[in-house]
Amino acid sequence: MTTVARPPRTIYTNPSRAARPRPEASGRERFWWYFMRLSGLALVILALGHMFVMHILVEITGGEIDFAFVQSRWGTPFWRIYDLVLLLLAFIHGVNGARVVIGDYVTNRTGRSLIIGIFLAIAAIWLVLGMAVIAFFDPNTAPPTGPFS
Amino acid sequence: MINLFGYRVSWAQLAWFGHRASGLGVLFYLFLHIVETSTVLFGPDVYDAAVGIFKNLPARLGEVLLMAALVYHALNGMRVIAMDFWPGLTRWYRPLTYGVVAATIIAMIPLGLIMVRPFMPWA
Repeated sequence: MTTVARPPRTIYTNPSRAARPRPEASGRERFWWYFMRLSGLALVILALGHMFVMHILVEITGGEIDFAFVQSRWGTPFWRIYDLVLLLLAFIHGVNGARVVIGDYVTNRTGRSLIIGIFLAIAAIWLVLGMAVIAFFDPNTAPPTGPFS
Repeated sequence: MINLFGYRVSWAQLAWFGHRASGLGVLFYLFLHIVETSTVLFGPDVYDAAVGIFKNLPARLGEVLLMAALVYHALNGMRVIAMDFWPGLTRWYRPLTYGVVAATIIAMIPLGLIMVRPFMPWA
């Protein structure tokens, strides 16, 4: 039986004292390091803009979020594309963040792969559901009454 | 350094923990939000009933918390990005961190008031 020596754990000195240092080697983890920062900058505009429209502008103008509101909003391509980009970036940014957090706390290798694998599978199905709602909602053929009415 | 329940915690540690907590909180809400919004495919009755669940004061306070988490995560994230790409800024990490916390609190005063207004007696 041969024992494979594990590489020593890298001790990072993080000059920014802020977050994860940039991975030294190029590859998947460095891609995600850049992705988190670039998508984060886009989300500052997209996510805060979404919250501002839905919770502040709607409130100030005395509007209400209901089916008719969604109908008029998703009747325009601009808001549909905006929401699709926001969903994709926010979801992938958030799921990757959660993956990093899980990796920090689950130290057992098998357990970590298993938990992250299950989490990513559930998240992928969830994301497809979200994208399908934005893609398939049709303001014209939406049923006038629901199955529970 | 601040004293928290007998533990000496630095602002950098708190800012880091706040970034994780707010990020995970917003992600949890995003999962919920996708389910809630998917009811729009079942027509006005189901959708209006689904969003109706969130039209009360406790849910609205939760949304104020969501807004605060998002504002903090956005501001602190921009601080992290700035310090990653301009390492010279790390000299100012302490005032920058204070600035992020202060800006979050200041921004949440008008935002929170606008959001809870319909449920207040003076509305």
